Amino acid sequence: MPEIFIDDKRYEFEGSPVLLQFLLDVGLDHPFFCYHPSLSIPANCRQCYVEVGTPVPNRETGDYELDENGERVIRFFPKLMPACKMEASDGMVVKTHRSSELVKRGHKDVLEFILMNHPLDCPICDQAGECPLQIQTYKYGPEGSRFEHKKVHKPKRIKLGPRVILDAERCINCTRCVRFTEEISQTHQLAIISRGDKNYPATAPGREFDDPYSLNTVDICPVGALTSSDFRFKARVWEMNQTPSIDVTNGKGANIDIWTRDNLVMRITPRFNPNVNDYWMPDFGRDDYRRMNENRISRPEVKVDDTRIKSSWHNAVLTFNEYLSGVNNKEILGIGSAFSSVEDNYALNKLLNRIGVSELVFTPNIEEGSGDGFLISDDKYPNTNGCRLLGLKEMNPAGLNKAISAASVKVVVMMEDDLVGRSVVTAEDLKDKKVIYFGSNNNETSKLADLVVPITCSAEHTASYVNVDGRIQRTIPAKETLYTNRKLNLEMSVGRLDRYATKYDNWSSDDNRIDCVPAWEFIENAAEQSGQPFNFADARDVFEDLSKSIDAFSGITYERMDDELGVVIAGSEKQKVTSA
Amino acid sequence: MSNEQQYTFSKEELAEIEKIKAKYPDKKPPVMPVLWMAQEKFGHVEPEVQRLVAETLDLPEAHVYGVATFYTQYYKEKMGKYVLDVCTCLSCQICGGYDILHYLEEKLGIKAGETTEDGKFSIQSVECLGACGYAPMMQITNDVYCNHLTKEKVDTILDDLKKDKLPEFEQIPFPQHQNESSKS
Ligand code: SF4
Ligand code: FES
Ligand code: FES
Repeated sequence: MPEIFIDDKRYEFEGSPVLLQFLLDVGLDHPFFCYHPSLSIPANCRQCYVEVGTPVPNRETGDYELDENGERVIRFFPKLMPACKMEASDGMVVKTHRSSELVKRGHKDVLEFILMNHPLDCPICDQAGECPLQIQTYKYGPEGSRFEHKKVHKPKRIKLGPRVILDAERCINCTRCVRFTEEISQTHQLAIISRGDKNYPATAPGREFDDPYSLNTVDICPVGALTSSDFRFKARVWEMNQTPSIDVTNGKGANIDIWTRDNLVMRITPRFNPNVNDYWMPDFGRDDYRRMNENRISRPEVKVDDTRIKSSWHNAVLTFNEYLSGVNNKEILGIGSAFSSVEDNYALNKLLNRIGVSELVFTPNIEEGSGDGFLISDDKYPNTNGCRLLGLKEMNPAGLNKAISAASVKVVVMMEDDLVGRSVVTAEDLKDKKVIYFGSNNNETSKLADLVVPITCSAEHTASYVNVDGRIQRTIPAKETLYTNRKLNLEMSVGRLDRYATKYDNWSSDDNRIDCVPAWEFIENAAEQSGQPFNFADARDVFEDLSKSIDAFSGITYERMDDELGVVIAGSEKQKVTSA
Repeated sequence: MSNEQQYTFSKEELAEIEKIKAKYPDKKPPVMPVLWMAQEKFGHVEPEVQRLVAETLDLPEAHVYGVATFYTQYYKEKMGKYVLDVCTCLSCQICGGYDILHYLEEKLGIKAGETTEDGKFSIQSVECLGACGYAPMMQITNDVYCNHLTKEKVDTILDDLKKDKLPEFEQIPFPQHQNESSKS
């Protein structure tokens, strides 16, 4: 196997990796700005300097030339080389700042140069705390600056587009944002304009940076030049905690990180998954934090004499069972939801099946032609394939409307899906029926229900979703409910403020914890109340149960989803999402 | 964006552009000659003109904008009849490029980047024009170079320009050739 010597240590490699990527992959920290693994390599920042040499082959024998001590003769490049533009080759010798004073000096000088006109405004900059420029200056930079002149001033607070703001003074012209619009989103909306110390990225005059993926440039900007107009100045990075999760705003299921502070979701950023979304996500997915924070249903609600009142959980369970047992099982219609998780749909289906109600029905929310073939799918819901694999009965909207409006139906049990808002059914259709609605947010449908069961949203529970490509992936709770506690639930992440806050600190409160439970938990409570518990103690139990009873899910576990970054369910890859 | 003027290329110009395109394997390189054509025709490459170039070459507008703004030789707005490009890059700067620039600014009552009210003169401070040996220097409207500038020389040039008389092209031999030319 080819070998490479880095700081006198031997490594083996395969293929021809980019030297910088190889350094990072073997765990050697190395400074860089412009390189990004998913973009082309312009080598324009010069921060990744190394000394590189190759052994000298003897033309006649083909062996490497040796010196008098029998050591290989190494011919070094005359100057420092950017590691991002070098390919590892057999016998290559590399010196990083760990073994070369010259490289150390190179890192320092490049940083001094980059910082020459930089405003050095970290205390008021949003990027502080997660800024490669800040981190690398701290680690590799000079102690001070020798630049005693007036700095070049450039435009600040430019609204490049509806979601992205540019501070041109902070920009180091790495061109990552430009390359993103050229190579990934392919809208070509940005270019570096002007020249020398005056240049910065801009849109063409009179044009907006309204790329549907524009916020990804904020993520990859290695400085605070590009910031999100929505998230700007809302929270410091070190105040939040970060939890891996799944985007539920469309069928692609982009992998995300949910950033919370005091149980409010502050922002959503993409998380790397080479099989799903690489490093990217669509802008609208980031807006989903509002759904997690706002307009939530907290505490069960029942309708008494046409007025809605809050009720206790105990009463909600009793009411639920009463509704179901008050009618003949043929008069009950269970409606599943492609918006809800595999676990929740399964639990409801199981409960209703047991009392003789046939499979849940559901109608996908697919807008043909609204997708872009990249990370925005036609399917607006995250779990259409999950519902299909569970064996729920797929119907088109008209079919579902007919099923609901049928006079024989007296009780409708709905998993979260705003069927009224989607115009699948009308208030008229639901009149004279008892409607039970499981949901996390108030909407047109919940307004009409006789019993509303507040359930956890994707930021609050462990649950799995099967995306349009048949990949099952799961969420991890990021936000506490009234009944969960991040210090006790070891799966939840604990940030600095969570760890050290008490009730008496002004940065912590109970205000943002919603009075809700996962749907399967409410169903378990209902089953238990009627004397036949399923014994589901957590989401894992539900999933284990369904993976045993439904072939499509057999052999799949949360551990596998975690380790393999989601598991493709056999047979579902080719299942094309179409409206029924 | 004003709509009062619709910028277009004529049939002949489009044919010319096709010829330019045929010279290059890629789509991007024709930007420069085509921007130049446009500037010759319209006298500037304002955003509307840049857009025309982008559409004609089927290139992103942002890219054309990037190229146009890189070069001071492309006029991104309407300029005076005579554009005085004063070099303030290193060699000229050392030899008094800024003195010349400020002298001009004072004389014309405008700052670099501005145009006189009568529309006669614009001043730009530009980067190296490759005539460092004759520093300080300036170029007039992408045309004649005026070398070894002094205040007196600037006075004469301005007086002449007011009479629409462009300075003569000056041949300055390299020092190593100076002897030869005096010998011959
Ligand atoms: S704005 Fe950020 S990503 Fe874009 S060129 Fe400047 S530093 Fe790079
Ligand atoms: S990362 Fe290598 S030159 Fe920028
Ligand atoms: S520095 Fe003025 S022409 Fe080169």
